[in-house]
Amino acid sequence: MSNPFPHGSAGLPLDASFTGYIPSMRSSYASITSATNPNSTSTSTSQPRANRLSHLLNPAHEMNSDLYPGRLSSMFQNHAMELERGSSTPDGNMPSLGARVPQLPPFSRAFQKYMNGGTGDGLWASQYRPSAFFTPSYLKGSSYIQKLEEAHKAKQAQKEGQQQSGGTHVSQVIPGSTHTKPVSHHGMTYDLIERAPLLEEDDSIAPLPTRWNKDDKHGGLEVMGDGQEVKYTGPKPVGEREHEACAIRADHPMPAEAGIYYFEVTILSRKRDDTTISVGFSHRPVSLARLPGWETDSYGYHGDDGHVYAGHQSGKVYGPTFGVGDTVGCGVNFKNGTAFFTKNGIHLGTACRDVKGPIYPAVGLKKQNEHIRVNFGHTPFNFDIDGLMQSERNKVKQEISGTSIDKLVSPPLSETDLIQRLVLQFLQHDGYVETARAFAEEIHGEKQALRIDPSTQVGGINVKDDEDATRRQRIRRAILGGDVDQALKYTNIYYPHVLEDNEQVHFRLRCCKFIEMVRKSAEFNNNNHSATNGSNSVIKKSNGRPRMDDTPNEMDLDENVLSNDDKMETEEGMDADALLLDAVQYGKRLQAEFMSDPRKEIRKTLEDVFSLLAYQNPFHVKEVAHLLDKRNRVAVAEELNSAILMSLGKSSRSALENLYGQTSVLLDYLREDGGSGSFVTVQSVMDEIPKSQLF
Amino acid sequence: MSSPFVREFEEQLRSTKDLLDRRMTSSTSTATPMKHDFTRQVEEVQVPKDDINALILDYLTMAGYSNAAKKFSKEARLKPQQDHASIVARQQIQHSIHQGDVQTAIEALNDLDPEILDMDESLHFALLRLQLVELIRTCHAAPGGDIQPALDFATEHLGPRAPTNEKFMRDLEETMSLLVFKHDTLDPSIAVLLKPDLRRDVADKVNKAILDRQVWRRDAAIRDLVQMRAWSEDTVRKETTKKDIPARIDLSLDGDDHLPEDVVMT
Repeated sequence: MSNPFPHGSAGLPLDASFTGYIPSMRSSYASITSATNPNSTSTSTSQPRANRLSHLLNPAHEMNSDLYPGRLSSMFQNHAMELERGSSTPDGNMPSLGARVPQLPPFSRAFQKYMNGGTGDGLWASQYRPSAFFTPSYLKGSSYIQKLEEAHKAKQAQKEGQQQSGGTHVSQVIPGSTHTKPVSHHGMTYDLIERAPLLEEDDSIAPLPTRWNKDDKHGGLEVMGDGQEVKYTGPKPVGEREHEACAIRADHPMPAEAGIYYFEVTILSRKRDDTTISVGFSHRPVSLARLPGWETDSYGYHGDDGHVYAGHQSGKVYGPTFGVGDTVGCGVNFKNGTAFFTKNGIHLGTACRDVKGPIYPAVGLKKQNEHIRVNFGHTPFNFDIDGLMQSERNKVKQEISGTSIDKLVSPPLSETDLIQRLVLQFLQHDGYVETARAFAEEIHGEKQALRIDPSTQVGGINVKDDEDATRRQRIRRAILGGDVDQALKYTNIYYPHVLEDNEQVHFRLRCCKFIEMVRKSAEFNNNNHSATNGSNSVIKKSNGRPRMDDTPNEMDLDENVLSNDDKMETEEGMDADALLLDAVQYGKRLQAEFMSDPRKEIRKTLEDVFSLLAYQNPFHVKEVAHLLDKRNRVAVAEELNSAILMSLGKSSRSALENLYGQTSVLLDYLREDGGSGSFVTVQSVMDEIPKSQLF
Repeated sequence: MSSPFVREFEEQLRSTKDLLDRRMTSSTSTATPMKHDFTRQVEEVQVPKDDINALILDYLTMAGYSNAAKKFSKEARLKPQQDHASIVARQQIQHSIHQGDVQTAIEALNDLDPEILDMDESLHFALLRLQLVELIRTCHAAPGGDIQPALDFATEHLGPRAPTNEKFMRDLEETMSLLVFKHDTLDPSIAVLLKPDLRRDVADKVNKAILDRQVWRRDAAIRDLVQMRAWSEDTVRKETTKKDIPARIDLSLDGDDHLPEDVVMT
């Protein structure tokens, strides 16, 4: 991860206060969309100053265009700068950056990286900040990194939450992080349930080593270059005692859960040729007064003789010697407990066995001016560790594909039969009645075709004509189609107590309804504008300007395609204003009911969904568009489905979901000490599937 | 569909379930402290419906259940993974093979993708061998069965190919022994050729070969997930002693672990 500003652009908190419900006229919004991405040269977009109600209240001031590039006032810039400065210098590592920023227009952040890199160690500073998140290339996509990243995000969110809770009561959307993967932002429904447990997990994830630990070193070593470099600056060792040296360990042990850990050390300079440097690892209490490898529970590859020392005074012949300009790598495979070293990108073979954690990356220097720099994965490695990791992953994959599934159920089923059973059971369990029926018929047809003797009776597969399943599917269909009223009606008829007993689900359904109302009016608006306003700026906008984010446009297309079978009921005679006022009315009722609710997450959700009203075209506002994502419908529908199943005394999960959950826990077990589970994820299976899209 | 037997079956299911419930009341009733750690952890895992739905649509599509795929894409509101016609085309070819009508399958396959059999010799051989098996089956079924058509087919189509590959040779020899011996006294290793499994096996191979050419994948993702589940349990039992997992990890396929053979589709 080379993004030096993992959470740089917080965006401005939405200024709209909902205490009087009608969003404030001041609800302007400046979002510095591009600032977080140093590769992007696009500029900022300012949102309309008018909220969606402004034209109702004050038609004379109606805006024709959503885009006011010229209106990005200096006030906004400064405000945004302050925010960013604040968040990117938590450890005071970048005083120069702070001083420089206000002189630059916002888009110049794209070049900041280079400017800082040229003037000093500003780049280092941002990259090696302890709070900066980085992913060593070979761990990309691993379960370990996923967890680490989640924990990191949770921490950031917590921090931001703390900062904000001190200020005035503002409505805000947690800014989407701009890491490689989009945050799992499923909108408000998920915000409620996902956040809390993540914070608890924080401590259980071993962090990556990020820098040398200046509090865990011996003698005259000096830590430089933001913790990446170590130099022997002490006095000449007295009496040239052969066995004495100075060693230092990294801030964290190698995380076994990663399966393989690897780092590289480059020898920058030393005084004479006869000096010796040791690269390796050691346990924590091991003495740092000697080179790694000489003490028990320490291991090292020594540059002067090329030998490997594994807790002994005498080493074994291993590889070539190394010196100035060489890069030496050290890798540990926790799956089989072996360690290896590399020199200038070449694997030197297995160096030692029975290596057990917790072990810290370590380096030992003996002579004055010896100077090394480490790469803990912030930058690409010399050695192709990615390839090695991949081959380990392939090995495990192969093992998996050779596994017999016989023992999964008894009596054993063939793979084909088991999968058919799993799928059919899921379809029935989750109330996909029509699919279940079609599937059962197709399986039946297959069995009939396979008969050798046509007179054999083929055991049919019976699809329970489950009344409940049909009802649940009816309810689901209503929600997925955006008709929450219908869903509420059905639920109350068929399962009168479910909503009462599941207040949170009920609340979410109602928020969902509100969102659908806003969507309807926004869509109506969009369609109308494109129909009547011919060539004005609104049209340009919906055709997609290169400078704008593409997703809202795709979403627009979806809307248009769907509006028919979506049962949007664009009531004839209804105009956009009436639709909007409807939504406002409903929102008011919701607010009246929950305004004084003691639960923070309830109020937060309300604020989030109400913020939709602040925009003329919420589909195009990145900060709220996710609330309109149709995947939120799926989430709400499934929550309600689970609640109904529970109320019927049925398991809320199908066998396939059990299987998924079990696999996930079992793999976790296999990861704890860096076992084979570290090399596979359930996600890797999901990634095989072409991205499925809702329509 | 809601005929009396359906209700009967439901009844049956319910009684099985009751029985099970009674047998394991401690673990099924809600929030009992007796729950195994593992079970609890599994329950805590968030299983995204997005993922499950994607797995299902993927399976229905890849395995060639065209109607189910179409219905599911509608019911779950997912964009189809492949257009209906392509799924149907694969399904029909598989269906022909399942029926033992290999000639039709080969012709349809050639229409769909003229290069596929030329590029994959072992696939072509597998099809021709199945065709031979079906011919032999027909011969034997007819009274006083004339084996000449089968012999001719073997000489013309399989004979020239077999010498190029040791496995082909072996396969052909095995198949030819079906001609010689009586079918009720066959060695089990040979008799297996007469079972429907061979048809299914060949149909699978053909389906995978088509998929490979179309979408660069051969298998549905759910298959990998099921195997991953089996492998991870095996490995935990083998390698990790400190982790306590239940003696049997149940999938809860509703307690009816075998298909009800007595119920017939209407």
